[in-house]
Amino acid sequence: MAARAPSLVLRLVIALATVSVLLTGVAAVALDALYRGLAFEARREVLDAQVIALIATAELGDSGALAPTAIAEPRLASPGSGLIAEIRDGAGGRTWRSPSMAGAGARLEARPAAGQRIYEPLTLPDGSRFIALSLGVRWETGGSPPATYVFSAAESLEPYYAELARVRAWLAAGAVVMMLLLVVGLTMALRAGLRPLARLERQIREMEEGRRELLDPDWPRELAGVTGNLNALVEGERGRLARYRSTLGNLAHSLKTPIAALKGLIDGGGLTPLSARPELDRMQSIVDHQLRRAVLGGTGSSVASAELKPPLEQLAEALAKVYRGKRVDCELVVPAGLAYPIEAGDLMELAGNLLDNAHKYGRRRVRVSARPLEGPGWRRPGVLLDVEDDGPGIAASERLKVLERGVRADETLPGQGIGLSAARDVVVAYGGTIEIGDSALGGARVRVRLPGR
Amino acid sequence: MRVLVLEDEPVLREMLARRLRESGLVVDTAADGVEGEYAGREFPIDVAVVDLGLPGKSGLEVIRAWRAAGGSFPILVLTARDRWQEKVEALQAGADDYVTKPFQFEEVHARLQALLRRAGGWSQPVLRSGPVELDPRSQQVRVADKPVELTAFEYRLLEYLMLHAGQVVSKSELTDKLYEQDYDRDSNVIEVFVGRLRRKLDPDGLLQPIETLRGRGYRMTRE
Repeated sequence: MAARAPSLVLRLVIALATVSVLLTGVAAVALDALYRGLAFEARREVLDAQVIALIATAELGDSGALAPTAIAEPRLASPGSGLIAEIRDGAGGRTWRSPSMAGAGARLEARPAAGQRIYEPLTLPDGSRFIALSLGVRWETGGSPPATYVFSAAESLEPYYAELARVRAWLAAGAVVMMLLLVVGLTMALRAGLRPLARLERQIREMEEGRRELLDPDWPRELAGVTGNLNALVEGERGRLARYRSTLGNLAHSLKTPIAALKGLIDGGGLTPLSARPELDRMQSIVDHQLRRAVLGGTGSSVASAELKPPLEQLAEALAKVYRGKRVDCELVVPAGLAYPIEAGDLMELAGNLLDNAHKYGRRRVRVSARPLEGPGWRRPGVLLDVEDDGPGIAASERLKVLERGVRADETLPGQGIGLSAARDVVVAYGGTIEIGDSALGGARVRVRLPGR
Repeated sequence: MRVLVLEDEPVLREMLARRLRESGLVVDTAADGVEGEYAGREFPIDVAVVDLGLPGKSGLEVIRAWRAAGGSFPILVLTARDRWQEKVEALQAGADDYVTKPFQFEEVHARLQALLRRAGGWSQPVLRSGPVELDPRSQQVRVADKPVELTAFEYRLLEYLMLHAGQVVSKSELTDKLYEQDYDRDSNVIEVFVGRLRRKLDPDGLLQPIETLRGRGYRMTRE
């Protein structure tokens, strides 16, 4: 047994899950970056405000050191609050530091020029991370030349990092839950979507077991092609089987009469070559007829279109040989490219019998003409085929009988027409009609109409 | 006239051979394609009857091989499956006519006669050479409208000469075509029979229908 291919559901779930894992990952990274960006922005605004407040309240004290006169922000007053500030002079010496810096051991080193802002990360000896802003300010002092001071403020990032960790945990949990929901949902959706396949499988099994004739007609669009073709195939095969059965039935049934007649001859002691001959001939004609029907090729949609001219030319050539002694002038009026979906052997059988008859009964001339046949609702044209000769023709009263020869076992007409009934079998198998009329050439005209589609 | 019968079914083959001999032909037989192809190439046959469904080599292949080797004698095909496709194939391969099985011997015989006539250039069923008339269908010979009784061998001799009317036919050719195998190679026998035939056709020696060309053979006058 061949290894089983992975199920369609499994394939789709794996493929879609892989895609969604990637998408969720990208989304998580993007959300993380966005959150961090927003948090930093917020902190910069806080530091800016603190530094501006310091500048607004700073004054030169009695000792000549620059210091704020009042501290509005309570966090600057309490050590460990996470917000610190200091003021340095141009030489780097501290002129003021906030009470909250007590014991923190923080060292702010940036030396921005006047009007310049420098943001920098800062790690305290105890490991806590800060972000610092230093702003250079040119300070006018009465009399002496202006000096540059640096106002700095820094805020702890620890609460932010704690929050970030929480956000990340939530993001991860959300992604996992989403994934699970996605896989479960997809599996269910696919199961539901592929249910018609399971139904198809069930129905085919039922057909196999003989509990079902055909597949249901209602299928999703994606399956309708497959099921439609399958039904056509099954119906074609069924038709063929029915034809074989009826052929066998007809054969057996119609052979009974001549067999009975022969038995009668044997029992009555009247069996002679002469008396047996008609019965044997009858049996022969029955077998011929049923055999012809049995070997007729496919007449379903599976037959490819074949051009009519080449086989007709071959036939005319072959018959010219057979009737060489008669010197028949056989004229073909068939447009090049005219095609019809008929099996090559069937076309040969149809045209062969008609042309043979025409050669046989015609005196000098035979004409074969074909042309496309239009019909209501046909997208592809049918074909009209005329075979004419200049022979004696067929009497109107004989025309139907000639075509029926061999069809009814109890009927045997002498002379003409074995070929015509053979041609008729082919025409009937293709759903066409055949009729005998008079030809402008003076003899019979056999007209065959094969329907279009 | 020498005919090759190529048929694998023994009953049919023997029936054909017997009836064809009875009708005055010299008959060679073969039961399979390989043997038959050899016979057709090596024997001086005038016509062949070939069954299409042969063991060894199909009838179609045999016909193609004969034609490819330059054999120009007429070929009559016997076919059991009377599908036109098969008939056309056989005719395209080089056959000249066909008979569908089961057949009546008379049909095969008539077709063979027609093929032989056509090969000899005759288009009428009755062969005529001056006042001499030969009808192969009834095997009747008339001179100036009076029937002439011939023995089977005399008839065969006349038929061969008439079918080849206008051509010179050598004594050895006549021995080949009128006797089975290498039955009797003595050409004196032919001379004797030609002499008898002349007396029967032309008792008064006025018509001279059969010319003798010394050292070359005989010639039947054509018209």
